[in-house]
Amino acid sequence: MSASGAPTAFAAPAPRRPGALARLYGRRWGVLPPLTAVGMFAMIAGAVIAAPREIVEGEVQRLMYIHVPSAWSAYLSFTIVFVASIVVLWRRDMRWDAVARGAAAVGVLFTALTLATGAIWGRPIWGVYWTWDARLTATLVLLLIFSVYLLARSVAGPNDEQGARYAAVFAIIGFLDIPLIHMSVNWWRTLHPQPLIVRPLDRPALPGEMLLVLVISALAISLLALWLISLQAHAERLGQRAQSLQARIDRGERG
Amino acid sequence: MSATLAVLRKDLRLAWRDRSGWLSATAFAAISVLIYSFAFDLAAQPVRPLLPGVLWTTFLFAGIFAGAHSFQREAEQGTFDAMLLSPAPATAIYLGKALSHMLALLVIEVALLLLATILFSTALLTPDLALIVLVGTVGYVSLTTLLSTLGSRARARAVLLPALALPLLVPLLIAAVRATGASLGDPVGTAPWTLLLLVFGIWSSAGAALLFPLVVER
Repeated sequence: MSASGAPTAFAAPAPRRPGALARLYGRRWGVLPPLTAVGMFAMIAGAVIAAPREIVEGEVQRLMYIHVPSAWSAYLSFTIVFVASIVVLWRRDMRWDAVARGAAAVGVLFTALTLATGAIWGRPIWGVYWTWDARLTATLVLLLIFSVYLLARSVAGPNDEQGARYAAVFAIIGFLDIPLIHMSVNWWRTLHPQPLIVRPLDRPALPGEMLLVLVISALAISLLALWLISLQAHAERLGQRAQSLQARIDRGERG
Repeated sequence: MSATLAVLRKDLRLAWRDRSGWLSATAFAAISVLIYSFAFDLAAQPVRPLLPGVLWTTFLFAGIFAGAHSFQREAEQGTFDAMLLSPAPATAIYLGKALSHMLALLVIEVALLLLATILFSTALLTPDLALIVLVGTVGYVSLTTLLSTLGSRARARAVLLPALALPLLVPLLIAAVRATGASLGDPVGTAPWTLLLLVFGIWSSAGAALLFPLVVER
């Protein structure tokens, strides 16, 4: 049982002995929230106070400490969707479907956050909120793919096993499509004749203090993403159980 | 192999008996080319820079209509479930469906290229372009056949299928449009677009052939 006493709905499967991973997962309520809180405070203090002001870009450059870790967390979430979807197909385990659903929602959230912070940064620095740069375009397509995934999921009920398998197949295809999207969009933008190519990442390497704050922010936002995913997966799991209880009640009333 | 051919024969026979499906897809494709030519005034201006995009967006939408129609009929009449109950391996059923979709789409595409050749007086039925269209169609059909299976059960499938398919098809669309442009002599850069199209085709047909049995197993 976790330290905070919160429910651990699918920490361990009933018939099998809980493995090391399941035991670790059972402790998440005691571990993730405090660590996330400490990390977020450190991130805010670091990004707002400790990090030096960038000479060229000014204060708006501090958005990087949210922007870059958000992008990493989005990829982390989609990787979790991918792995959970493989397990859904392999083991036919609806608990992993709850994980995939939860991680997809969090991934879409962080992708949107990445695009939004990027747009806010882009306005003063590039002069436009949006430009059809390869990296931006690929991120937008990624957002579309997993938004459609969530849309398709919302059509099916939480206990729909066939729907879960279909969604898993779509998530796997979508995840494996990412390298192809990157390649095509890169060639589309960089090898096509262009009047001006914006290269946001061709800056010199970060100075030490900035790098330290960025690493702290990456840890903090990754922890936040993991905590949100575990909350969201737990909510999905509760939805599944509520629906199966409802189904049992309905059957009992008819029978 | 024989199961694949049986599914292919069945689909082609059905397509011949009920011509409404692919005829309406062909009509849609022809009308959409006309609409594009009014919208962009393709006849008056130098047409070549816009033409590849017009052709490929039309192919994509027509293909989605044709594929959705075929799967909808299967789902309504229960023939898809019947096929899955037969001892034929799922991969063979998938190949049969994909081949029949590909044939239907290739017919539509050739008709459209012929129409565009006449309308825009640009030679479009060249060996170069035929190869690009063929490779692009393989990649396109193998992915959308899988996605049609996924979408065939949902109530909102008419909306869901394009929404599922089009974001995944972004690499195919970019590569196909650029490769077509290159074969028409447009300056599109030096990237190996046909190679990317080929990679997408191999990726999507391998992935779909592997995943389809998992989709349909009960």
